Amino acid sequence: MNEILKFDNVTYFYQTKDDEIFALDNINFNVFEEEFVSIVGPSGCGKTTILSLIAGLLKPSSGNVYLDGSNKIDTKKIGYMFQRDMLFDWRSVWKNITLGLELQKPKNLDEKLQFAEELLKKYSLYNFKNKKPRSLSGGMRQRVALIRTLVMEPKLLLLDEPFSALDYQTRLSLCDDVYEIIKSEKKTAILVTHDISEAISMSDKIIVLSSRPARIKDEINLDLIGETPLKKREDSSFSGYFEKIWRELTNEEKSENG
Amino acid sequence: MKKKAKMVNFSLSHKKYVKKLKQDKFIVIFFRIFILVAFLGLWELLTYLNVLDPFFFSSPSRIIAQLGDMIASGTLFHHTWVTLYETLIGFFIATVLGYLIAVLLWWNEKVRKIFEPYIVVLNSLPKIALGPIIILWVGAGTNAIILMCVLISIVITTMTMLSSFVACDEGKILLLKSMNANKFQILWKLILPSSMRDFISVLKINVGMSFVGSIMGEYLTSKAGLGYLIVYGGQIFKIDLVMSATFVLCILAFVMYYLVSLLERIYKK
Repeated sequence: MNEILKFDNVTYFYQTKDDEIFALDNINFNVFEEEFVSIVGPSGCGKTTILSLIAGLLKPSSGNVYLDGSNKIDTKKIGYMFQRDMLFDWRSVWKNITLGLELQKPKNLDEKLQFAEELLKKYSLYNFKNKKPRSLSGGMRQRVALIRTLVMEPKLLLLDEPFSALDYQTRLSLCDDVYEIIKSEKKTAILVTHDISEAISMSDKIIVLSSRPARIKDEINLDLIGETPLKKREDSSFSGYFEKIWRELTNEEKSENG
Repeated sequence: MKKKAKMVNFSLSHKKYVKKLKQDKFIVIFFRIFILVAFLGLWELLTYLNVLDPFFFSSPSRIIAQLGDMIASGTLFHHTWVTLYETLIGFFIATVLGYLIAVLLWWNEKVRKIFEPYIVVLNSLPKIALGPIIILWVGAGTNAIILMCVLISIVITTMTMLSSFVACDEGKILLLKSMNANKFQILWKLILPSSMRDFISVLKINVGMSFVGSIMGEYLTSKAGLGYLIVYGGQIFKIDLVMSATFVLCILAFVMYYLVSLLERIYKK
């Protein structure tokens, strides 16, 4: 498998007027093609910072982030999905998912538009093509947001707690949907979450971060059996992983408080 | 069409609910008209019985007679047109210019910070205080009136639009940035459309403000217009004239406000 992302001794400081916040301390990890990697850690530890560095929205204070072997991030290779769906109310579903195409005006526009249409059909949103987002449910909105990301055919998907704003039921079924979409489109994905079970049920690898400044505490490779995240939750080793990660995170909080 | 077809199947309680909605709407409209008719009727009656002196208070019938005379002589149209012209030009210039300045200030944060105190001062300054200066600079007459009109609406336009631009969802900006959008695209695809609602409120505010501007301007310096008629009527103690001009002004303001809310309805579809 090819390596698609590499963090090489990455350190990051946030600058504010009165303070310099040490966010990331010497982060090293890599992600291979078609891998699903989750990053878990205490809240505010710098998980989103890692995604922003990958997306090229921030530059590392020291060290390098290599995307596809280059430390000059090509944003076209990245698809970023946020906690909130960030759909534009004044645009129809179709206009929302083709937003990226409108901005980047790729040469093979017709092909991409056709691809967008296929995605809508495949993930049963075609009937809502001309509807405004406000007439969709929370889960549907996140699916539209995911399609908006996929239309650009990114090599790497960044998912920043994309399910956290949803109710539990929707969350579980959307997890399955997203997982299936990502696997069937053969995408590489990095998921940031504070939900341990979500991370275990979806990923091939979990990176556990310490509290700020974030260091990598553990890197866990998983091999749960099950076709969907929901099925994977039934795997016998699920609870073992859960306990391990939970302990690592709570130890972290204790040492932070004590 | 679809909705109506559906309604047939609804339950009795839904019918009752719809009926109640209709009743409520009827009551609102009824009282709106009732208040107007009662007010005019009482006014007419009291002046007719000489409880109120029609010399000071005029009366609906006298206003109608006055308006009739003015329509016959063509002066009503002339004065209304003068005021409308000044107001529309002032409204247009203030809205466009104020909007563009807001875009400029959004574009460059440093410029925004530099100009912040100036805008605050300009906003709190009563623009009428600038009247004599305006007349000295651009001369008495239509230009001065339009300038007054512009000054009154432009600052509030800029301030409202700028705060709307700046209040745009950071997450959505981040989304566009992650899609490699440049600053112009962020402005065009996100900032401007997401501030449309505030823009329509600005238009509504500016309708009122522009009339304030043109009437103020006409008070200061004019040879025609509804403001001129009001001042003139006041000076020669012809309250009928003052009231008639005010009445026409009410209608103009209402029509302009209505046009803007029509625009709002089209936009919301």
